[in-house]
Amino acid sequence: MSSELSPRVNGERTVAVLIALLVLQLALLSLQIEKPSGTILFRSWTLAAQAPVLSLSSQAAHGISDLWHRYVWLVGARAENESLRDAVNRLSLLNKAYEQSRLENVRLRRLLALSDPLPFEVLGARVTGRAPSFLANLVTIDRGSRQGVRVDSPVLSGEGIVGRVLLVSADQAQVQLISNPDAAIGVMLEHSRTPGVLSGTGDMLLELNYIGDTNPVAVGEVVLSSGLDGIFPKGMSVGRVVEVARGKGVFQEIRVEPLVDLIHLEEVAVILDPKGHETSSRMP
Amino acid sequence: MKYIFLAVSSFLAIVAQMIAGENFVLFNFLDLALLLTAYWAIYRSRTQSLFVGALTGLLLDAALGWHLGYNGFGRTLAAFVIGHSWKRFNTADQPWVRFSIFAAASCINSMSIYLLFWFMQRTASGIFLGASLLQAVITAGVGVALFAAMDTYRRIQTDRAH
Repeated sequence: MSSELSPRVNGERTVAVLIALLVLQLALLSLQIEKPSGTILFRSWTLAAQAPVLSLSSQAAHGISDLWHRYVWLVGARAENESLRDAVNRLSLLNKAYEQSRLENVRLRRLLALSDPLPFEVLGARVTGRAPSFLANLVTIDRGSRQGVRVDSPVLSGEGIVGRVLLVSADQAQVQLISNPDAAIGVMLEHSRTPGVLSGTGDMLLELNYIGDTNPVAVGEVVLSSGLDGIFPKGMSVGRVVEVARGKGVFQEIRVEPLVDLIHLEEVAVILDPKGHETSSRMP
Repeated sequence: MKYIFLAVSSFLAIVAQMIAGENFVLFNFLDLALLLTAYWAIYRSRTQSLFVGALTGLLLDAALGWHLGYNGFGRTLAAFVIGHSWKRFNTADQPWVRFSIFAAASCINSMSIYLLFWFMQRTASGIFLGASLLQAVITAGVGVALFAAMDTYRRIQTDRAH
């Protein structure tokens, strides 16, 4: 089509299309910046269209990996099996001791009239995709609104908080990791219980803000969710302090390393309805 | 038909990038969408490549959860740079010229995103620029090899036809 025109007309047309497209995208951007509320339809459609392809590829990759590890790559399996059996014996003894402690804890909590620490329903999910950019810090999981996932549902792994659900389609959801520059969590320090706000930076480390100069903070101290943001349940591990410095103002500059390995996430858990449980301490 | 192909190939490039990036970290530094845009700019039509750039950019923005337009803007510019430079410079059997064009287009894409972030008052991590540079080098390297292979294939096909 383009070759039918003279090179000059063709070139002029290309420049005209270029300018039109650039202006259109700038207009689109400014429109969204002015009105950031609500989900954009185009984004939801894209996520929904990706779902079957991502799910299929994830299943195929896991299938091949399982086949390889379970049936082909069995070098050292016998020795590993024996050492695991030993470990199971040791752990079952330990487990009995922990069970006693847990029951004691339940009794003491009842005495103190405190509620059960994990009263919410949790749904397991598999990470099926990662947004292809360094600034993104987003992953896609294979659970969506059909399974009860909602926007802002907290997402966890065994080590602590992973992030929150940003966008939901029927069978998929996009999760904003805590390292995302737009992410922020209400937190508190484990020992002093000093509240602060933990923000993503786009890098591997997070920033802990609004901790005053007079509050003692130790390197290695664990940072827990405070529940004050109304999204994440109170008392969940988020990260560990790795750097503390005096800030320019009245607040300290604190860097926190996430407890969860956000680069190698495979399985996560989504809290289906955390509201009304452990986030109750927030202001109305 | 060609517009359906344009849309489907753009969509598949983004999905392939997501799948590959999830399983192999290095694929995060290979910009498949830019290579697809380059294919349209070099072998098809420069004007159509602008639409491919815009479309892959918008799809990428949607996949990243960003406001629509950051990548769209950058990739439209990158498509223009590739199409224009390919015509202007002698690229036949000149791998370094080709490498420079791909790398420049990738850098222009990243820089425009960085600047748009700045204009829209969003903070962009410093790591972005370093990673973008690495992405430009890897994408350009793969692009040179890929398009050299495609040229060879086309040459063989032409010879066979004669």
